[in-house]
Parts: sequence; structure tokens; C-alpha cells
Amino acid sequence: MGTTLKTTFLALAVLALPGAAMAGSLENLERERAILLEAMLTPAVDGGERLDKLAIGKRRLVDLERILLRDKSVVGKNTPQVRKAFENYDLTFLAHASVEKNLSLTDHWLEQVGVSTHSLMSTRVGRR
Amino acid sequence: MNRINTTNCRQDARRSSRLLAATVASGFSLCFFVAALSPALAEEQAVWRPAPTERLVKLPGAYLKKAIERDFSESGLADAIGDRDARIALKAKTLADLRDAVDEAEGEVRTELRHQFLAEKREYVKLLGERQELQRKQLRTKIRVYERILRGLERKAPANEATQQLLRKQEEARERLERSTLNVDLKVFGSGVGKESKYSREYQKNLGAIQGLMTALKDHPMNAEAELDGQQVGKKEYVRQLAANAESGMALLDQEDTILGYMAKLVALDAMALAENLDEDLAEELDAEDETMSVSSAIGFFINR
Repeated sequence: MGTTLKTTFLALAVLALPGAAMAGSLENLERERAILLEAMLTPAVDGGERLDKLAIGKRRLVDLERILLRDKSVVGKNTPQVRKAFENYDLTFLAHASVEKNLSLTDHWLEQVGVSTHSLMSTRVGRR
Repeated sequence: MNRINTTNCRQDARRSSRLLAATVASGFSLCFFVAALSPALAEEQAVWRPAPTERLVKLPGAYLKKAIERDFSESGLADAIGDRDARIALKAKTLADLRDAVDEAEGEVRTELRHQFLAEKREYVKLLGERQELQRKQLRTKIRVYERILRGLERKAPANEATQQLLRKQEEARERLERSTLNVDLKVFGSGVGKESKYSREYQKNLGAIQGLMTALKDHPMNAEAELDGQQVGKKEYVRQLAANAESGMALLDQEDTILGYMAKLVALDAMALAENLDEDLAEELDAEDETMSVSSAIGFFINR
């Protein structure tokens, strides 16, 4: 009985916290980007499905990137998350940056993390 | 009969002399009063509590001064200053009338009128001093308000270098994104793979409305940039100038205090001069009386039998 009561109170307290229930524009963008990268890298899906997922994710990402840059609550908000997000435009604003550089989303991301066709071709299989 | 008249005259002269002594004393005390007026006036209910600074900070520059002036005009302090102004104007009229009357009068009436003129001048200086103190109170409050507004405006500015750097990066990112927006729209939404998102559609619609409203706001006369010497200036600069104006007003009040001090001193000296004249007249009368009562003046009765 006591445990149930405590759990109920805890749940109500969590619901009462506005910040806890509402994610910011940056958090939304980060989550969507993570989902997109997962779709990009996961071996569990085939090529066609991956392309569909990437196309849908890209459109969603375009909106979220614009929402973040138009969000007044982020302007001058000097927190580690916001600082990190604006340190590298190409990685944070993946959809816009990829169109700007005329690359596919995957190619742009791989280039940003330092993986290129040339570097992949020059690797060799070995045992550690 | 003649003796009764002489006695009455002497009593009048003494009474006038006493009154003048009181005027001299009050004249000198007025000098001190002008200097130490503030504690007495502080007890009065003439106060001005300006509107909260948070509200004023948000007002357009050109409207700020008007808002503060209007706020002041509704205060008890403004009423008190208005009351002193009216009383000073009336007193000035009385003084002008009395001065004319003194010029036309003669004898005892003239002395009485001169005394009244001095008393009215003392009251006039006192009223001027009261108004000065109330105006000082108004200017002090005004300076405090402007300083608070300036602090409020400075708080809005970025505090440190790290924040400024972040703001620069955010601005760069915004510009870069705006540059690529059209291209992104064409490639992502115009390719036929997917239609424009609801957010994008609604945003464009709202953007048109916002731009229309912003143009109206920009052109609104009450939102016009404040002007200094015919040149448009920022709100911060304008408030700083208003504070400087109020400070110069305070400096002028200090200078006017000196003028008031001199005026009070002149009233005291006039009173002293008048008292001196009356004493001399009284002494002459007494001398004349003594002469008629002297032994030698009756000698004729004894020589011419």
C-alpha cells in the first residue's frame, strides 16, 4: 500500500514538472538525427527500406533544423549542449548542410566523421 | 494733547521697531531655512513612486520620456509643485502691488507697508525654497528611474565573451541556413518525393503576417526612434542623455539655491536697514523732546519779566 502510494506521488510529481514533460527544439532535433543515423547504419534493413526511412527522416530533419534556428529560447543560451550544437554546423544541421554541399545525407555524414571512399578503399582486413 | 500724540508716536515706533527686530531675526532664520529645508519637506506627502522599471524598459525610446512625465504628473509631488507655483505667482503679484503702494505712501503708513513688503518677500523666498526642494526630489527620482532603466537595458546585453561567441555562431548558422533554404525546398520538397510539411506551409503563412505587422510597427509614429539634435539614436543612448539632462537640472537647482540664499540675505539686510531708520527717527524725536524739556529752554520766562 505504502509503495503504491509513493509511486503514485512520484508519478504525479514528474507530471507536474513542465520541463520534464516538454523537450526543447534542440533535444527534438538530436533525437530525430539519432533515429536517422540508426536507419542509415543499421544492417537490419534492406536498401529500399533504408532509402524510404532516410527520405522521411530528411524531411522531418529539415523542419526541425529550421525550428531550432528560429527558436528564441536558444539564442545566447550558453549551455554545453547548445555550445556543442553550434560548434559544428555541418553535423548539427545535417539536412541543410548536405543539400548545400550537393551530397547525399549519408555521404555528407560519413565525410564529416572522416570516412571517405578513398579511406575505405585503402583499408585492409586484419586481426587485432 | 501734543504730549499724548508724541507718546502714541513713540509707542508706534517702538512697536514697529519690535516688529522689525522680529523680521530681521526671521530674515536670518530664512537663510538657514533655505539651506536646511529638506528634512521639513520630507515629512510632507508629496511623493512620486514611478511605474516599475520592467515595464518602462520595454517602451519605445521616444515614448519613454512621455510615459515618465505622465507618471509624474499623476503623482502627489506634481500636485505639490503645481500648488507652490500657483502660490508663488500670487505672491509675486502681492509683492508688485505692495511695492507700488510703498512708493505712493508716506509717514507711518509707508513704514508699515515697507514692513509688510519685507514680510511678503520673506514668504516669497520661503515658497521658492519649498518649490526648489520639491523639484530636487522630482529630479532625484527621475535620475534613479533612468539609472534603473539603463541597468535593465544593460542586463539585456550579453554578459561575457563566451556568450557573445555563441551568439556570433548562432547568427552565422542562421545566415547559412537562410541561404540554403530555397535550395533545400527545391531538392527536398520539390522533387515529388514528398510534399511540403505542415510546419513549412504554416510558417510561410505566418511569416507573411508577421512581416506585415512588423512593417506597421516600424512605421507607427509611437514606435519611432528617439531623436537627439535631429539625429535618431538608440534607446540606451537616449536614456543616458535624459539622465544627463536631469543631472544638469540638479546642478541648476544648486545654483538657484545660491540665488535664493542671496535673496534671503537681502531681505534680512533690508529689514535691518528699516529697523535702523526707525531707531534713528525715534532717537531724533526723543532728542527733540528732551530739548523742549531742558532747563535752558525755559530761561526766557525768568529773564523777561
